[in-house]
Amino acid sequence: MNGERMDRELARLREGNQKVDLVVTDRAYVIYRDVPTRGAPLGLPEVTDVIVPVPAGYPAALIDLAGLPVGSPFLPRVKGGPNSQGIVQADGRQWQLASYHPHNGGGGPSWDQTRHGFHTYIDHLIAWLDRLA
Amino acid sequence: MKTRQERAIVRLAAPEWDQLREIVLSRYPNLEWASFARFGWRMTPEGLLVTLAALDPPDFGDLDYRVGNVAIQEPYSLRIALAAERHPLGVGVVHSHPRDCPPTPSRVDDDMDCYYATYFRDFAPRRPYVSLIVSILNGDIVVSGRVFWNGEWEPVARVLVSGGAECTWHPGEKAEQQGRARTERLSIAFGTEAEMRLRRATVAVIGAGGTGSAAIEALARAGVGRLILVDPDAIEQSNLERVHGSIPQDAERRRKKVSVGARHVRAIDPTIAVEALVGALPQEEIVHRVVMADVVLGCTDQQHSRLALSDLALRYLVPVLDSGVMLEGSNGRVTGQILQLVRFLPADACALCRGLTDPQRVAQELMPETERRQRRAAGMAAAQRGEVGNAYWRDLPQINTVGYQTTVAGAMQAGYAIGWIAGRFVPPFSRLQMNLVAPYLDITDVDQPPRDNCACRCFRGWADQARADALITAPMHWRKPRAVEST
Repeated sequence: MNGERMDRELARLREGNQKVDLVVTDRAYVIYRDVPTRGAPLGLPEVTDVIVPVPAGYPAALIDLAGLPVGSPFLPRVKGGPNSQGIVQADGRQWQLASYHPHNGGGGPSWDQTRHGFHTYIDHLIAWLDRLA
Repeated sequence: MKTRQERAIVRLAAPEWDQLREIVLSRYPNLEWASFARFGWRMTPEGLLVTLAALDPPDFGDLDYRVGNVAIQEPYSLRIALAAERHPLGVGVVHSHPRDCPPTPSRVDDDMDCYYATYFRDFAPRRPYVSLIVSILNGDIVVSGRVFWNGEWEPVARVLVSGGAECTWHPGEKAEQQGRARTERLSIAFGTEAEMRLRRATVAVIGAGGTGSAAIEALARAGVGRLILVDPDAIEQSNLERVHGSIPQDAERRRKKVSVGARHVRAIDPTIAVEALVGALPQEEIVHRVVMADVVLGCTDQQHSRLALSDLALRYLVPVLDSGVMLEGSNGRVTGQILQLVRFLPADACALCRGLTDPQRVAQELMPETERRQRRAAGMAAAQRGEVGNAYWRDLPQINTVGYQTTVAGAMQAGYAIGWIAGRFVPPFSRLQMNLVAPYLDITDVDQPPRDNCACRCFRGWADQARADALITAPMHWRKPRAVEST
């Protein structure tokens, strides 16, 4: 993992008032706190935490997937949510990874490590939590 | 001046080196001139690596043109010092000595260096101060230097020009007949100076399989003084057709490829220093070794390795030649035997600009085996549901190669490395493809310019000071590298 790059990207998120943490266990994850959702009209929370794995070799490998706390009411409603890509443990919680691939044919631009990163992935997460089924 | 035993290596590369040479030699042949410059650096177990990153050339009045030697005016020094507060690079002075005056520091040079070493430390602490002297002796450009680092002076042991011959000043050294019968033909063809350069040189070979082993053999036979071999894998039965120096017992005992390479080198010439490292780029321990080499050959044909090599060329100014080979066929006929050589010099476009890598393939190469299995299963499940499973996993065709193909590729790489080190010829392409079974070999030379907005245009020579802009980092799950042999 490129610690210097991660620091830079997370700092940019924090500059924009996005709460975010890097959690390193057997592998590294970025946890975005209180990401806004379109849940209110459905009686769901207006914000949720989201976990995203830091891919091995980052930034050479593209950022992929997104996860929500196990049991999250958003899981059945987000794109790829019902198609679990595994359960991970981080930050004292269990998270279910959803089949969400914005940079890999999932609707976003092709991965370009010179332009994209965790600081831009937030846009995909907001869009993901905005389009609820 | 208190001088430390460690030695620094300085790397220079076009276009900054070309511009710098033009500036400091602008009053040649009789008068000196100078320029401030910025340098990246990396501290390695072998010593300090310093890389030319940018120039701060003098404006009118910054140097006193009325005197023959270099007299830097205070406003110039102050401007450079204030700029250093805003960038992370080391600062240095490069100046010339008149033609045929050796680049030995004079008393005036000593005074200047002592002054600036402390002066810049106050503005930009914990950074090296670099002092280089350029001269032309007997028609050859030579450079000497020293670096003030951690409170002591380190002499510059070698000055390497990326994509060109070493230009270190070796006082008192004369080209002498080596009397080595084995390299006599090479010496006759390229000269005894070339032979000495090869003896002083280090070449790192990344990948000790079919292609790498052929390159290793050619380099050892040419008399390269030191070889660094890097590969994580062991010999398997299927490798025996390609790997030079391998024998069936190596596969039975699963001997590491780098050990086989080291043994083969010793059999050819026991005086060659060999470092056999089980590991891969861009692991930090491997990078430490590889950035100190004169030339690096990429022989893995893996995309993540290609990215790492491109990064080394860009940030550490290491000249790299990468290769790939492929066998194509249909209906029982061999239709293509493709060989590709890619040159990565610091001024060349990076691997991303050239579209040499696919992010998904790189991700698949780098992910842990558990994730690979999980993604393969997800891809198959998607296919069973009638969906496209590419987002989970994309099966990559097994690239077939055979021994004579990898030998051709490795030998060509070694040949160009010898040309670079000897200063006798250079790869006349940035990317070369050929098909060994096509008419006229179907040779394609692709010169791809860098993208205007690519980060690779900003950090040439920044070394560790542009870590945040590294193209790739080693996965956490890779095994720690280890040296299996060192002679």
